[in-house]
Amino acid sequence: MPRLTSVLGYTGAALTALAALAGPFVLYGAFTQGIAAMGLRINPVYSGGPPAREITRPGYRIVVYRPVVPRAPFSFARSFVQLAWTPAGALPRRVEDAVDLDGDGRVDLVARFDVPSDAAAPLFLDVTPAGGRVLPLRHVSRGSFSALIARVGDRIVTRIPLAPR
Amino acid sequence: MADPVVLETTRPAPRSIGRSALLTLPLLLWALLMFSHAVDLRENAGRAAALLTCAFMVALFFLMVRTRRTYRWRRVFFVALGVLFPIGFIAQLYALRGSMSIPVERMLSGDTPFCFLAIPMLIVPAALTRTVIFPGSILPTASNPHSVATMIAVWFAATLVLGKAWCAFGCFFGGIEEGFAALPRKAKLRDLPPRLRWVPWSVLAAVVLLSAATFEPTYCMWLCPFKAVTEFPEVRSAQTAIQFAIFGMLFGGLVVVMPLLTRLRTQCTLLCPFGAFQSLFNKLTVFDVRIDRSRCTDCVACRRACPTLVLDEAAVTAGGPGISCMKCGACVDSCTKQAAVWHVKGTPIAARPETARLLFLYPAWSFATLFGGSIIAGSLAQLLRPLLH
Amino acid sequence: MLGNLAEPALLGFSSGLVCLAACGPVLLPWLAAAGEGGRGTARLLAQFLGGRLVGYLGFASLAWAIGLALPLPARTNAFAYGLVHIALAIALLVFAVPARRRPEPCARLSIFRRATTRSGFLAPVLLGFLTGLNLCPPFVAAGVRAAERHSLPGALAFFLLFFAGTLVWFLPYLGSALLRRLPAVPTVARWSAALVAVYYLLLGGLTLGGAWLHG
Repeated sequence: MPRLTSVLGYTGAALTALAALAGPFVLYGAFTQGIAAMGLRINPVYSGGPPAREITRPGYRIVVYRPVVPRAPFSFARSFVQLAWTPAGALPRRVEDAVDLDGDGRVDLVARFDVPSDAAAPLFLDVTPAGGRVLPLRHVSRGSFSALIARVGDRIVTRIPLAPR
Repeated sequence: MADPVVLETTRPAPRSIGRSALLTLPLLLWALLMFSHAVDLRENAGRAAALLTCAFMVALFFLMVRTRRTYRWRRVFFVALGVLFPIGFIAQLYALRGSMSIPVERMLSGDTPFCFLAIPMLIVPAALTRTVIFPGSILPTASNPHSVATMIAVWFAATLVLGKAWCAFGCFFGGIEEGFAALPRKAKLRDLPPRLRWVPWSVLAAVVLLSAATFEPTYCMWLCPFKAVTEFPEVRSAQTAIQFAIFGMLFGGLVVVMPLLTRLRTQCTLLCPFGAFQSLFNKLTVFDVRIDRSRCTDCVACRRACPTLVLDEAAVTAGGPGISCMKCGACVDSCTKQAAVWHVKGTPIAARPETARLLFLYPAWSFATLFGGSIIAGSLAQLLRPLLH
Repeated sequence: MLGNLAEPALLGFSSGLVCLAACGPVLLPWLAAAGEGGRGTARLLAQFLGGRLVGYLGFASLAWAIGLALPLPARTNAFAYGLVHIALAIALLVFAVPARRRPEPCARLSIFRRATTRSGFLAPVLLGFLTGLNLCPPFVAAGVRAAERHSLPGALAFFLLFFAGTLVWFLPYLGSALLRRLPAVPTVARWSAALVAVYYLLLGGLTLGGAWLHG
């Protein structure tokens, strides 16, 4: 029995060495694919959720994302809906858009923001609700994950908090 | 506790240079292979960094083999990693965006590099809802190669090889406090209660439970002291200001001041939940450190040398430091009676300790060369670029 | 009729994971620190759930009795949220953190002293009550539906069934009795409870401060 455990121990040591050698060539790639295959997604509080629909405007479009409702009771995040104007380079200097969030033909909000020529300049968002689905915003820049406006690549991303239901 | 008695050392003579070189050869080949991919070899700085780092890692391994000691040489690598990683990282941040604070745009676009310290907090939310509570990206992208999947894959592969020894051979934060702990000749604050080593387990339990309740990485947001040397959310509210103050105080206290006072890795010993989490995986590895009670004279040299609090009186009596041992080699190198030894599970204790040590060092140093070495090389390349352009 | 019974129960069952996660930071350290065996853990869990039920039914009564326009206005919500969390933090610090010994069986203790020791009923009931008031979205949704009932018994029944639907998710907590085999667990659990309490204090304070300043 002691001999058997010794053999097993040294076999384990050899396998460990093999694992160390195989790591960068086999294991990392296999494990990465395995994790990717789990169907994980980034918390929509960070990612903004999946796109739901697009609204076409002359020269640009507005991507409406699915509303994000944090389920965690103690989360600081509030429910919000993300909208993205793209491409940012094609936007007029002043954007004022009435947005129908769910495509039911009724305007849910009017969003206003200026697009400075300097891409690094801060952005400010005003939102006027129409119908009670969202909360109003006044001159919001990067208040929180549920109320902000930011330039991300060639998109102007906004998040508008949803009114409690 | 018995007064430490200076005993005549019974350590074997150093290994011959020729034999040491022969044993180092596989590591040399490995290092050359790894560094040919680690940095951009088309530029002078990349080539110089690769060469320096390769020589550095190989030299340290040679010295570990020749002197039959582990801790001293491993510490040189570890402190270098702890110093160079933040330097390279911060330099990159300033080059990219002129600041260490994470702009919200980076979080929205999923460009935040994934940090392994977040792994324990991700498990419950991911298991229950398949949601990763970290503002990164699942798969690597051009702007974020350090995706969730990539970093978890690296961590998992490393854990199969190292177990808790990640904390001594992989963690690019631990070297900072290990460096501070090495500076004083004597500890001003001694005899910390050994039960304090359970604090990281409490932190682990609390952050895992709170992360599941809040769907936010609680440790990252509120406690991680290493945001002081990497990146942190912009301070734009009372909450982020409080978070900034907390991690600043924790860094100053546990990473700088306490190691200087105690000569211990106090952040690892008294806070790090990831270290506690890694301890669970020590059961996976076949390597451990044991104490041969037939040779031990209770001189407490090993306990004094241990940079965490895992080697207390009960552990020595029981014949080993248990699951929280990070296999840094401090206790083994300090033992003058060769009672504290490297060991392969299943084999007789102290039968072939040097064989066990080498069998451990090959995979451990291979990983250290690949992972830590590439970080060192990358940071060196950044530092050398203005000089060698 | 069956549909009326199924709706709250299913709502509770579908929300159970949220309840499991929300109660975890309080319940698991508490149970682990108690160091009880299977029966003792089941007793403590039952007392905790009893307190949680009282919280649920109390909220149902409030929602129905004053014809509350749920959800609450944001400022009221925030104040309630903040106060509950501060109360929860204090309860944890008083009951879960100190290493209280059990009273001797023959010791002469007042009912209050006996109730507030680790083996007493006040702690788990209070912790359960406060955790039950966490105002999570499923809880508020149930409150809206309860407030729409035509009678108070209807509202209470709705919440009772909602509560019953969540119960099955608490069964895994009985497994915490296995942790008593590890001698360090009560110490680790007490310190975890302290950290959770500090977090709730911060959370409650920031919420109250935000509500006070911004409305």
